[in-house]
This record gives sequence, C-alpha cells and structure tokens, in this order.
Amino acid sequence: MGLFDFAEVGFNVDNGFLEGLTRGFKNGVLCKEDYRHLTQCDSLEDLKLHLQSTTYGNFLANEPSPLTVAVIDDRLREKLVVEFQFLRNHAYKELATFLDFIKYSYMIDNIILLITGTLRQRQLSELLPKCHPLGIFDQMETVTIANSTADLYNAILVDSPLAPFFKDCISEEDLDEVNIEVIRNTLYKAYLEAFYDWCEGCGGATAEVMCEILGFEADRRSFIITINSFGTELSKEDRAKLYPRRGKLYPDGLTELARADDYESVKRVAEHYTEYRKLFDGTGVGIGEKTLEDKFFEHEVTMNVNSFMQQFQYGVFYSFVKLREQECRNVIWISECIAQRHRSKIDSYIPIF
Amino acid sequence: MGSLYRSEEMSLVNIYLQSEAAFTCVSELGEIGLIQFNDLNESVNSFQRKFVSEVRRCDEMERKLRFMEKEMKKDSIMEDYHKNVNPLAPGMKEMNELEAKLEKFETDMKEVNKNQEKLKKNYLELTELKHILRKAQVFFEETAHLSDQQHHQEVDEDRQSLLASEYSSVHTINTLSFVAGVIQIEKMANFEKVLWRSCRGNVFLRFAEIDATFNDPDTGDAMKKNVFVIFYQGDQLKQRVKSICEGFHASLYPCPETSPERREIAIGVMTRIEDLQTVLNRTEEHRRMILTQIAADIRKWFIMVGKMKAIYHTLNKFNVNMADKCLIGEGWCAVKHIDEIRYTLRRATEMSGSSVPSILQKLKTKETPPTFHQTNNFTQSFQTIIDAYGIASYREINPTPFTIVTFPFLFAVMFGDVGHGLIMFIFGLFLVWKEKEFLQEKGSNEIWQMVFGGRYLILMMGFFSMYTGFLYNECFAISLNVFGSAWDVSKIRDVNNTLRYEKEIELDPWHNGEVFRSVGVYPNDSGVPYLYGMDPIWQSAENKITFQNSYKMKSSIILGMAQMLFGLILAYRNHKFFNDRLALYCEWIPQMIFIWCIVGYLCFLIILKWTTIKDPNAAPSLLIGLINMFMFTPSPDGLYLFNGQNTFQHFLVIVAFLMVPWMLFAKPYILYRRHIQRKQNGGEYHSVSVNVDDTALDMLNQDDRSTASTDSNDSATVDKEEFNFGEVMIYQIIHTIEYCLNCISHTASYLRLWALSLAHSELSEVLWKMVMNIGLTAFPNTFMGGVMTFAIFWFFASLTVGILLLMEGLSAFLHALRLHWVEFQVKFYKGQGEPFQPFSFEQIFLNAEESN
Repeated sequence: MGLFDFAEVGFNVDNGFLEGLTRGFKNGVLCKEDYRHLTQCDSLEDLKLHLQSTTYGNFLANEPSPLTVAVIDDRLREKLVVEFQFLRNHAYKELATFLDFIKYSYMIDNIILLITGTLRQRQLSELLPKCHPLGIFDQMETVTIANSTADLYNAILVDSPLAPFFKDCISEEDLDEVNIEVIRNTLYKAYLEAFYDWCEGCGGATAEVMCEILGFEADRRSFIITINSFGTELSKEDRAKLYPRRGKLYPDGLTELARADDYESVKRVAEHYTEYRKLFDGTGVGIGEKTLEDKFFEHEVTMNVNSFMQQFQYGVFYSFVKLREQECRNVIWISECIAQRHRSKIDSYIPIF
Repeated sequence: MGSLYRSEEMSLVNIYLQSEAAFTCVSELGEIGLIQFNDLNESVNSFQRKFVSEVRRCDEMERKLRFMEKEMKKDSIMEDYHKNVNPLAPGMKEMNELEAKLEKFETDMKEVNKNQEKLKKNYLELTELKHILRKAQVFFEETAHLSDQQHHQEVDEDRQSLLASEYSSVHTINTLSFVAGVIQIEKMANFEKVLWRSCRGNVFLRFAEIDATFNDPDTGDAMKKNVFVIFYQGDQLKQRVKSICEGFHASLYPCPETSPERREIAIGVMTRIEDLQTVLNRTEEHRRMILTQIAADIRKWFIMVGKMKAIYHTLNKFNVNMADKCLIGEGWCAVKHIDEIRYTLRRATEMSGSSVPSILQKLKTKETPPTFHQTNNFTQSFQTIIDAYGIASYREINPTPFTIVTFPFLFAVMFGDVGHGLIMFIFGLFLVWKEKEFLQEKGSNEIWQMVFGGRYLILMMGFFSMYTGFLYNECFAISLNVFGSAWDVSKIRDVNNTLRYEKEIELDPWHNGEVFRSVGVYPNDSGVPYLYGMDPIWQSAENKITFQNSYKMKSSIILGMAQMLFGLILAYRNHKFFNDRLALYCEWIPQMIFIWCIVGYLCFLIILKWTTIKDPNAAPSLLIGLINMFMFTPSPDGLYLFNGQNTFQHFLVIVAFLMVPWMLFAKPYILYRRHIQRKQNGGEYHSVSVNVDDTALDMLNQDDRSTASTDSNDSATVDKEEFNFGEVMIYQIIHTIEYCLNCISHTASYLRLWALSLAHSELSEVLWKMVMNIGLTAFPNTFMGGVMTFAIFWFFASLTVGILLLMEGLSAFLHALRLHWVEFQVKFYKGQGEPFQPFSFEQIFLNAEESN
C-alpha cells in the first residue's frame, strides 16, 4: 500500500450510510438479558410479548393466535430478508458484489435442497417454502429437471451467478445422494475460495477481517467433512478434493486431515492450532456439555462480534447477517423448547452479546 | 405567577382500589390525567404480571382492527371521521361484547375475502384462457400460412384447417404436439433460455404479450403476462417442457387443436367470464357493505381498545393485595389536584357499584418529586425553550415567566428593524389566528411543526423587534422622521451656498455658532431632543456607524449586567426558599460583591461617561481604563471621570480578589467543621432526631411543605454519605473559578447583542443601497424605470425575507437562546428535575399519533 493510498478515506462516501445503518441494526440484536427473559417464558404468547419490548417490536402483532414456531420462524427470517434487501438495494459497486457473495451461499443451499427433494420424490410446492428467501433466483425452480451435473450446468445454472463455482463438478454421472453431498461441498469450496480471494483483493481492513472469518469457515468445513466422511464410501482422495484450500489449515493441516481415519486423528490435527484445540477440548453430547458444532458456532459468533471493532470495512455486513441468523436459530430453539415443553435443553442457545 | 414561577407542589399518594372498581377508577383517572403512576412491579417480567391476559386480549382486538383498517384501505373506504369521538373505556361486559363483535366482523371479512379470492383466481384463469385462445389463433394461422407457402404444391386444400394434422402430413415421422400457457413477462427471457438449453433447441416457442394487465389475486399487484405456445416432439420432451413451465410458475391451459373447437371453447369461456363477473360484483358489494359498517365505528373502537390497553398496563403497575381484594397503586400528583382526584375516585367507585370506597392517602417520602409546570398555549413555547436546557429541579425557580419578556427583547436588540419586525409580527399573528385550523391539520412536516410550535414566540419577537426598530429608527434600513429631527441646518449662515458647494458639513451640538443660537438648545426650536429613539438625521451622517457602535456596545454591557444581576437575585430567592444559608452566605454574597466590583463598576463608568463628558477630547477610554484598573497603573493620559478614581479602582479590585478565597474556602470549611462536630456528638443522634421529626409530622398533619425535606437536605446528605473533603473542595474550586471567569467572559459575551445588531443593520442597508436603490434610480423618469423598479422589487423582497428575516432571524434567535441558557440560567438554574408525566389518555393518543 502506497503512501497516498487511503482506501478508508472514500469509504464513507459510498458506504457510510449503510455501515451506520448496519451498526444500528446490530444494536438491535438480542442480548443476554433478553435471552434470559425469553427462556423464562411459559408459552409462545409470552415470548411474543417479550419480543415486543425489543427491536423486533410489533413484528408478530398481526399474527392471529395461536402462534406456531413456524410462523415465528417465517417472521424472523422475513425481518432479516427485509433488512438485507434494503442494504443490497442501496449498495454501491464493491459493496454490492460483497453482498451478492453473501447471497450465493444461500443459493447453493437452495439448489441442493431442491435437488435432494426431487430425488426423494417430493413436490416442488412442498420444497419451495423451505428455501431461504435470500437465495431465490429465477432459474432455481427448474433444477428439478436436471439428471446430471452437466445437465444442471448447461441448461440452468450457466447464466446464474453460481456458474463459475460449478466448473469443478461437471460430470455426466447421474445425480444421487452421495453425489449431491459432493456437489454441495465442491460448490461451497469454490464459493469460499472465490469469496476469500475477492476479500483479499479488497485489501485493507476488509481483507483483515473477512479473511479470518472465511478462513475459519473453510477450516470448519474441512473438519466437518472429514468427521462426517467416516463410515461412508467416500474415498480419501475424493475427500481431500473437497477441502477448501484457504484458512489456517491450508496446506499442512489439510494434508494431515486427508490422512485421518477416525475422530481422534482429526483431534490430533486440531491440536496443532491453538484456536481449534480449544474447540475440540471438552466437547460431548451429554447434557451440560457442548457439541463440537455448538463450539464452532460460538467461535464464529465471537469472530463476528469482533468484526464490528474495525471500521471502514465490509466485514460488518457479513457479520451482521451471520449474527442475525444465529439469533434466529436461538429464538427458534427457545420457541421449540417452549412449544414442546422440553425445557431441560432450553439453555443451549448461543448468546451473542 | 402560580406554578410557572415554581413547579407545582407534588405529593406521593397511595391509592387503594377495590378490585371490582379498579378498572373504572383508573379509566376515570386517565380521563382527567392528573396523576403519574409509579411502577411497583419493576422486577416482574412483562408477561408475568397480573393483567397480562387482558392486555393480550386488547392486543388481539387491536390486531383485528388493524386488519379491518387494512381491508378498508385496500378498497379505499374512508372511515367516518368524527372530530370529537371520545368514548369511555368500555367495562368488562362491553369489552366482551366488543370482542365478540370484532370476532364476528373478522370472520365475515375473512370469509368474504376467501370467496373473493377464489372467484378472482377463477376469473384470472378464465381470462388467461381467453387470451390464450385468441393469441393461439393468430399463431396457428401464421404458421399455417407459412407452411402453406412452403409446401404450396403438396398441400392442396383447406387453408383454415389446422397445423397439427398438416404438419404431420409434412413431417411424416412424428406428430408435433404443443402446450399453451401464460407466464409473467419478467420471467420470459430466462424461461426462453432455459427452455432452449435444456431441450437442446428441439422445441419451438411462440409468444405474444397480452395487452391487458392482471391483478395478482393474493397481493393485488398489477402484472403483465405473456401468452406462449411451445411445440415439441415426443414424450420425453413433453415431461421436460412441463417441468420447466412448472419451475417458472407458468400456468398451462388445455388448448384444442382445431380452430372450430377453439372457437367453441372461447364462446363457453366468454359466457362463464360474464357469469363470474356478476358474482364477483355481488361479492364486492357485500364486502363494501361490511366495510362501510365497520368504517362507521372503527375510530371509536380503536380509541376504546387503546384506552383499555392503557388501563391494564397501568393496573399492571399496581400491587395486588389478595387478602383485602384490593389493588394498591402509588403515584405522584399535584397537591392542589388531590381533591379533584378524590372526587373522581368517589364518582368512579359509585359508577362501578362497589360498596367499599376507594381511598387516596398521602405519603411522606424522601424521594424527589417530578417537576410539574402547568402551561397554556402561550407559555408552552417558552417552557419548551427552558425544558430543552433541562427540566427544572423540583420547586426551583422556573425561568420561563421571565424568559417570556427577556427572550423576545434580547432577540429584538439584535434584530431591531420596524419593517422586518412587522413582517415577523404579522406572520406570528397569522399563525395564532389560524391556530385551530393548523392544530387539526397535524401536518407531518417537522420544520413546520417547529415553527408552528413557536408561534407565540414569533409573535412576541416580531412585536419587540418593532419596538427596538423604533428605538434604532430603522425601517428596512431607512430612518423614519416622525417627530421632526432635532437638528436644523437652516440656521447655518449662508445655508443655500453651503449645502450646494460643501461636500460635507459638520453639525456640532456643542460648538457655538454655526448651527445653534446658543449652547444646549436643540435646533428644532422646541428645546427638546428627538422624542423617541435615534434622531433620523443620523441616517445621512458619515459617522453613523462609529456613533452607533459605541452606543450599542455600551448598552449591551448594561443589558448584560442587568440580566446577570437578575439571575443572581433569582438565585437569592432560591437559596431563601430552600433555606440554604450556607450557599447564601458563603457563595451568593461574595458572588454579588464580586460582580458589582468589576462589571457593576464598568456600567457605572459607562453611565457616568454618558452623562458628564461634554468634550470628546477629554473622554477617557473605558477599555484602556479597565485594563489599567487590573494592572494597578494610573491612566497614562491623566484623564479621569471623577476625582479619586484611581484609588477607588484599586480598592474595588482588592475587594473583588478578596471575594475569591471567601467563595473558595468558606463552604468546604464549614461543612468540614459540621462533620467533625457530628462525629464527636456520635453519628446516630442526628438521624434519629430526623426520624422522630418525620413521624411526628406525619401524625400531626398532612401539610407537607417541601421545606421539611429540603431543610434537612444538607445534613441528611452529609449524614448518609461519607464526607469526602477532597471532593467537596474540588467541586468548590471548579465552581469558584468558573464563576470568576464567567463574570468577565459572560459580560464580553453580551457584546454579541451589539455585533449582531450591527450586522443586521449593515446587511439591510447594503440590501437597500445595492439593490432597491439601483432599481429606483436606474432609468429615472422613463417608463423603463417603472418596469425596472417592479422587477428589482421582487428581488429585493425575496432577499429580505430569505436572508434578513430567515437567516438573520435564525441567528439572532440562536444567540438569544445562548444568552439565556448560558449567561442567564447558569447563575441560578440547576435543571436536574424529572418531568411529570401523568397517566392521560389524551397524551397517550397524541404520542401514538406522533410515532406513526
């Protein structure tokens, strides 16, 4: 960076309003106190009453009783979508690209969801409501006609923004369950790598913040892929191809992960990295213990909260979306626990602030 | 002056309500809006309170009402707007009735909506089909025509008959089948691409836009659609095409292959559409009927439900006493309203038919009550200015009544111009005149609201500006010669020649000879100066600015001194009222002496100079004099205003400096001594005596003059908290330094009165000379001159309003605001109170309206 290269100087000209807005949105994210109140609720009506006193305000006011968890889920998601769309519609140049990158991950999820659904002979009308509204695009619903990845790519996705991520997984093989998982992970890998490189290209604080977060995301995927692959027909070579080649594990850690045969060996790999060692320590599935997944989520939340410490960078937008998403998961978890009268696990949400 | 001078005396009261009477009582209290309830259940979650289910029912009703309102908006049915609908909050029984009524309306509404939606969907499908049939006809005809030309020889007959069969006769191998449907126009491009790619170009697509727009039956949004027909071969392709159509939400319709069949269907469709249309109209009518029924009462219901909700929220703040079946509330109210509240409670209890009366009981408390100023339309705008700085502490002097006069006055000193003042006055008058209409309009424009809120302020400012304008004798920068100037040039020897040939002449009031017959007699023969304000002759004087500067500068300082002094006097009244002797003797007296010694003396010098000095050359400079005073140096030119001035000055400075240690050390020292004394006497003694005192007072009478609590203020606070000498000392140091510096800097700050006044008069003069004057003199004595003057006038007028009235007015306003907030109020006003927020339906609805 040269002496007269002040990327930050112009930041507020293009993005100041949206950054300020996002930081404002972030202040509306529920805090520990709110969760404490929420976990004390006896019914979903109570939950609604309490949420009224937060920034969610009257978002459930127009819902007829009785409330269901699904309705709450829809409304929560709707709020996130409205906020995100507002940001996207007002975004300019680079920020627009950045926000689009965030959307791509939802698109990938939606495509995979639809293909899996069709393979299981589900109706399209049944699948559509399950798609995340952030990841909806025009051609999405036609993926059901594709029989092979080549088909999928050539006919449908070639115009969609996902096309560049697809080039590694084109084959004439028919689609089946294992295949789909492979496609999902290959897509994700390509997506993460592209996103990571783009952020790195941005330089400055954006690169600093986003590379760390995305690097962690990549590492998490590598761990999870490895752990989930035990006991399946996925070969080690194929598995290694799925690891996103970014983040702290790349390249040494990934080579070792590729050789792993069981959970213990994965843990041994993690031992080499201070951040990940902590996450693997003391995980379990019993009550009071946290699963590895939760630990990962917790770490992600911390990173996202920290991203707000830096100014003049796009990381806040990503982090905001992720935090809101985590919040939705938390509220839904609590509502489920309340609705099913299963209070013993109600505290297993992941607090944000 | 009533409560505007000091805030209302407040009392903490307990209210015991029988549970059956509670609702009515709180409802009536909400109507009169005189009591502020404290939340006694702060630690309880909102959903664990007693009346949470009632609140929830109200929420549900509100939701239904909002739903109906939305439906009304959709059909653009206006609610019957009665201005003064103010129904009481309904009782239990009525609430149930209302709930049932709303429930019924909602189900009716939903039923109708469902029917309508179904019908609309049906209607939409039929219209789409109609369009398909119509367009398809065209497609097929074109294709037929095409194939006809191509296969001219082979095909021999029947031009009307249709393609499918014909085609098959051409391409003998396979039959060509087709599907027809409609799709939203935005999706067309992608649809076409996907279709082409996934069928590898083996399909043939024709499409055309439908001219009519459709309404989405769910959302009611308008949308454009395309008709398309896809030709393909074989079953596999058929599956593919169908699922692509499904993916793009294209609706497919059966379309017969031959023209007569199509015509037949088309006729059928047309009749069905007509039938459907009548049914739809009838449903629409029914819907409108229900909605108009709702519209008649919806406002009333909204208010009723809103009131109920507010009442239950208030009841949630009450303590519940299970044993006596009563609710206990606690709140603040003005002492003078207690009787009214008692009366209201009695009435409400009777209304509810409860046998046991509701009781209101005063409580003794150490808590600081909220500040309650009763204002009216006029005082409101001034109170707002004060509240913006800080809400008055309980029962301290409220600067508002004085601000009503001083604020417009100080503004006018900076804005003195008869013409500008008149415009402002008329504008203010207009706002006040149309007050009622504007109040009802409730425009959402924030700036307008602000201007309108300050209408009385504007009126007063305009009025005072005219007053000072007359003093300055300026009307759009021109002097008015009302009483006849006191200067008279006719007495000059050889006056005609002098005026003709001399460029400037000097009129010297003290010079014997040229102008006057004798010294001290004014030249207008009347023997008196110009009756009121500046003599208009200054308008043409060369040294006008010099003269006015000195004059305005000095009067600014005198005005400043007057206002600061007044502030100190108010501080005295506060100390007296709160019985704060310590502050009176250790702070107020030295402060007073200090300001008199420095600023007071300066004012004295100014007045002395005005009245005694006759020879300009013998006048000592006040500024230099003031500096010399502090430097203890004698005047270098030996000019003094009175004998012994130098010595007297030395004396004043020494006295002023002696005040500093007095202010600095006296109070902390006395506090320290008291603390030591109390320690020696044993700390318990005093606080016990206070307790006895309080209970005794309680038992004796309920006359709680706040002096009782404020009396023990010093001792009580010292009692409770650990005495920290360092902290007290630092606090005192800060205050002393601040006061001493402020005396000088605030006095200097009042010079802004002069500065802004100068800026204003200069600007208006420039505007007159450079704009209007040019217009008047551009083409003298010609027709063009009139046109020019007319054109220039508008320019002049808009600049006058835009720059002089708006911008200058705003800046003068801000400076007046500053002078009040900083220079004036700092002397006596603490502004650390809490506002009184009574439970009042009116206020609740106002707030709700504002937040919308």
